[in-house]
Amino acid sequence: MKRCSAGIRVLIMSALLVAVICASPLILSGQQGYLEVSAPGNRQLQLAIAPPAALSGGVNQDVARAIIDVFKFDMTLAGPFSVSEPQVTESRSGIRPGDFDMASWRAAGTDLLIKSGYVVSGDSVSIEFRLYDVLTEKELAAKRYTGSKRDVRRVVHTFSDDIMSAMTGIRGPFTCKIAFVSTATRNKEIYLMDYDGQNIQRITKNGSINLYPDFSPNGRELIYTSYKKGNPDLYRRELASGAEARVTTARGTNITGAFAPDGNRIALSMSKDGNAEIYLLSKEGKQLSRLTNNDAIEIAPAWSPDAKQIAFVSDRLGKPQVYIMDSDGRNVRRLTTSGAYNVGPRWSPRGDKIAYCRQMGGGFQIFTINPDGTGDTQLTREGSNEHPRWSPDGRFIAFSSKRGGRESVYIMRSDGTGQTKISRGGTSDSSPVWSPRW
Amino acid sequence: MRKVICLWSLVMLCGALMLNGCAKEQVVTPEQPLTAPSSEKQLKQSEAAKQAVQEEKIASPAIKESPVAKDEASASAAAAQANGLLKTVYYDFDSAILTSSARDTLSANASVLLKKQTGLKIQVEGHCDERGSAEYNLALGERRAKSAMNYLMTLGVPASRLSTISYGKEKPADPGHDEAAWAKNRRAEFVVAN
Repeated sequence: MKRCSAGIRVLIMSALLVAVICASPLILSGQQGYLEVSAPGNRQLQLAIAPPAALSGGVNQDVARAIIDVFKFDMTLAGPFSVSEPQVTESRSGIRPGDFDMASWRAAGTDLLIKSGYVVSGDSVSIEFRLYDVLTEKELAAKRYTGSKRDVRRVVHTFSDDIMSAMTGIRGPFTCKIAFVSTATRNKEIYLMDYDGQNIQRITKNGSINLYPDFSPNGRELIYTSYKKGNPDLYRRELASGAEARVTTARGTNITGAFAPDGNRIALSMSKDGNAEIYLLSKEGKQLSRLTNNDAIEIAPAWSPDAKQIAFVSDRLGKPQVYIMDSDGRNVRRLTTSGAYNVGPRWSPRGDKIAYCRQMGGGFQIFTINPDGTGDTQLTREGSNEHPRWSPDGRFIAFSSKRGGRESVYIMRSDGTGQTKISRGGTSDSSPVWSPRW
Repeated sequence: MRKVICLWSLVMLCGALMLNGCAKEQVVTPEQPLTAPSSEKQLKQSEAAKQAVQEEKIASPAIKESPVAKDEASASAAAAQANGLLKTVYYDFDSAILTSSARDTLSANASVLLKKQTGLKIQVEGHCDERGSAEYNLALGERRAKSAMNYLMTLGVPASRLSTISYGKEKPADPGHDEAAWAKNRRAEFVVAN
């Protein structure tokens, strides 16, 4: 009976949520708790991963292992699922509806079941995935993807995104990339990796200091600050071609650039007129407007998802604090009032939270706060944690942490649970930023 | 006024019901074509499948970038001498205010630039200790470099011979994590720029 209610609840939720999305993504962006399957107090759904089957041709242990590993990682991070690989003996086996015996999975206590099958032919791999609600015996999602052997992890992440879409109406961010800064070469260069730390690719190779990457909203470009010409200038790079353009030419700091949601403008802290102020530039570098004008330091602009407001850091009252202004520079008000030193704001994609860092006890901790200043909540406690950056669905936050000694990239759910180290190896990794959907 | 609100509520309710209907259809029959034998073709053609194959390939950047010239390497013998003559200035925590000892050091540096090395151009490098946020420290480092530069200018060093750059906490002089190291890292250095 208990399981029944869980299954039904999920189905009802899906129905309602798809309705909400039809109605208006903007309304959704302001709504609380639409991910109620993961709300505290709800029982986790028992998600079973069936052994991947060779649909034709031989068994391939590498492919089968990759399917299970990726699902386990993605679905465990997701939150509402308790993920397992139970040993279930089926009287009839198969992955399609009606081909196998759902009762044995029901008997094993499974709420949701992922079935998968693969065909490996030379370098080509085709994988078919099916997500079932075991109680209603309904198929919730089914897809087949074909790619080369090196695409297997990406293909499984894609179905993980599909699962989140089927369960909640909003796709997962598991196919996204994370850009970050690494000292692997002793300099600071920008790298790209899968959100789970796999497939690391180096982006800049200039032997200088490269800082603060930020993605364009379509994910095709990165902006960052580089000292490669002897001054911290802003650059914009097209990821596919590697083509790079210098956006700023003025001497002084050109730092903490943030792409506007429209993809055409960049908010940037520049000191060309005397001290660090926030400006709006076209993405080609033409100055559109100056948003702040005083003797204080103004850095780290962060757009609201509707582009109407910008959160930023100012030390106009002595110590750095987070403020919000309208995106024309007017109507400045202070956001953070607790803590002596608050920096690094970043607006959630749903618009309902702003993540930032507070200096505490010799290090930093990550908080979230509502844009009206209420609901100030500490998310991290272990070690020093900085640079929160939301996943595009707003479910997760990437950040850097020194809890393990060296600074590394971590991810967590937006309520602070599920903190997981992502970067590996002996390098110092910082300034992660989660890409838009890839 | 109340009538308008009522009318709106009715419209919203109708809209919600209609949308709910549309949504339920989508949920009850998810991916329905896939249960049919002809599903394989459709799946293969799905956009996601194409993405999975195509978008994985990110060409490694082909652009060749020249390494950054090292200040020290480009400096002449005279400049190297000047580097030794120009002393580093230190700051208090989270501050760009010149202490009296910092002003003394800057006076000595100014007399080197005005009497011994009259042709040298200098870049003032601002640095911070590791405790502040990296982003804020870049701005603070610049504030430090500018406070030192402005003081040199008041002592008569022409602005045309001076420039600033901030490295924030990116280039510590001492890699340690204690007050002794931090004190050495909160500084402005004077590097020959010609």
